[in-house]
Amino acid sequence: MFFHIVLERNMQLHPRHFGPHLRDKLVAKLMRDVEGTCSGRHGFVVAITGVEDIGKGLIREGTGFVTFPVKYQCVVFRPFKGEILEAVVTMVNKMGFFAEAGPVQIFVSNHLIPDDMEFQSGDMPNYTTSDGSVKIQRDSEVRLKIIGTRVDATEIFCIGTIKDDFLGVINDPGAAA
Amino acid sequence: MNHEATNPFKRLVKLAARAFYDDISTKGDNQPKTGRSDNRGLVVVVLDALTRRQWAREEDLAKELKLHSKQLRRTLRFLEEEKMVSRDHRKETAKGAKMYNAAIAATTDGQQNGKEHEEKIKLHTHSYCCLDYAQIYDVVRYRIHRLRKKIKDELEDKNTVQEYICPNCGKRYNALDALRLVSMDDEDFHCESCNAALVAESDKLAAQDIGDGDDNARRRRREKLKDMLQKMEIQLKPLTEQLNRVKDLPVPEYRGLQAWEAQASASARATHDDANGSDSFKSAQGQGFGGTPMPYFGETKVEVSIYGLEPKEEDAKSNNASTPMKVLPPWMIKQGMVLTSEQRGEVKQEMKMEGSSTKTEILDDKKSSDEYLKAYYAAVYKMQQERAVQSQQESSNAENVNNGDSSTSNRVVGMKSKRQDDDGDDDVDWEEVPTAGNATENFKVNDLNVQAAASDIDEDDVDWEEG
Repeated sequence: MFFHIVLERNMQLHPRHFGPHLRDKLVAKLMRDVEGTCSGRHGFVVAITGVEDIGKGLIREGTGFVTFPVKYQCVVFRPFKGEILEAVVTMVNKMGFFAEAGPVQIFVSNHLIPDDMEFQSGDMPNYTTSDGSVKIQRDSEVRLKIIGTRVDATEIFCIGTIKDDFLGVINDPGAAA
Repeated sequence: MNHEATNPFKRLVKLAARAFYDDISTKGDNQPKTGRSDNRGLVVVVLDALTRRQWAREEDLAKELKLHSKQLRRTLRFLEEEKMVSRDHRKETAKGAKMYNAAIAATTDGQQNGKEHEEKIKLHTHSYCCLDYAQIYDVVRYRIHRLRKKIKDELEDKNTVQEYICPNCGKRYNALDALRLVSMDDEDFHCESCNAALVAESDKLAAQDIGDGDDNARRRRREKLKDMLQKMEIQLKPLTEQLNRVKDLPVPEYRGLQAWEAQASASARATHDDANGSDSFKSAQGQGFGGTPMPYFGETKVEVSIYGLEPKEEDAKSNNASTPMKVLPPWMIKQGMVLTSEQRGEVKQEMKMEGSSTKTEILDDKKSSDEYLKAYYAAVYKMQQERAVQSQQESSNAENVNNGDSSTSNRVVGMKSKRQDDDGDDDVDWEEVPTAGNATENFKVNDLNVQAAASDIDEDDVDWEEG
């Protein structure tokens, strides 16, 4: 789920950036530092939408770096248990398959794949129904439900299921391949 | 506790015992199971026994169940872990045991008499146990919920996190670790420590004999699970029905051991109170002769008779039990006398019976008999005096017979008779015994009042007759 929240961070700026574009430099560095990171508390920071406030800088003794407290608005993405997501399959093996929904990695184990889908090994490992009409392989798009999350300080990992109504492949695997 | 309210809960306990604890043996695993030591079903027996009790001392329970106390204790500990039973341990002297006995007596049938006196004084740790009905209700519900959930989850493969186990080192992983376990070389998961290929762990109920993997096996497994679920529902139906029945009923609460004891003895006191309320005669007697048979003194009298004078109380009780008819309070009898002759006649009959029985009873009562006899004869003497006065007054109103007292006012007569009372103690003792035997009806009725106390009441009574 996406959230638009205000976060705060202390930015350290090298003295060489001091000058007329100090603020721009600071924001550019903030984006470089923060976007794409993951915190267990807020989830993945997707994008910074604005800077609310930059406090007074404080020169650090000895180094000459200056610390600015910065308040910024950003979009974060945090997966929740029970949430339905659309994801792209990245890897298929006999244990199940891995998929990505943006920055989040999701694993679907084979017993959470519908019973009528069979694992086919080979050049392009896939899960296929007995009549071959539905096929899950690399780059397939699937809709899945998150049934468990593992949240570390800098990492979020999920497991999902496609064994429920309206879950499973949402595009034509042949076209994607 | 009223039985109507607790019966559904007791039934619940019995059903749960048979459903879940029927084949549980409380033997330690290290001991070999022989035919003799196989104690399966013991848990059911203990639970059943506990439904018939409230707080039970474990020694007594063991004795009644003919079990070794160690065996019982092991079973109870198991039940405590299962949250079916709450236990209490305390060091106690005979006094504590007495409190418990009193409470037991109160809750079983009352009227258990002073067995506690025989108890020796020693300090022991006693354990008590009691069914915790509120918790049992929750525990049973939770247990059924878990059973159902386990089978259903497996049936639908829903919301279960697949577990993996390393066949080499036995390390366990679950699907949340999948990202770390995946290897680039092949499509297996590999153990982090020994790099062996992991296998999916199946602690499934149905997968034990049927190898899972191919489609056919899965279908069979599903069928088996469905079957199992259905069977469970059928077999637990009585239990679930009982749970529903019990749902809205107030739970029998025995609380802690202390609180329960206090409550039980309090209720016992209350019932005693009831019995004594209509029986002030008895309580007055228990209190000794000087007691005043006032109805509003009932409470204090009861207190005294329970704690202070228990042997006497027993006497009174047995007496009471043998002749329940005579527990008529004195003031009632007076009214009857004053009102109609029919009532008086009835009362007189009763009083005759009573007069004799009370006499014998009083003789039994060693402590107060001396005092009592004195007062009794004094009263008898006084009565006769009064009767003499009465008759003489009737014959000649103006004439003074006794001590020169001519007044007809109530007060003066009362005072006078009191003085006579005192005199009677001194000089009239054994001479009057025969008169007590062949006294008139009127005397006997008044006699009752005198028994209780030679107080103003009977003087008043006499005065009414005069007027």
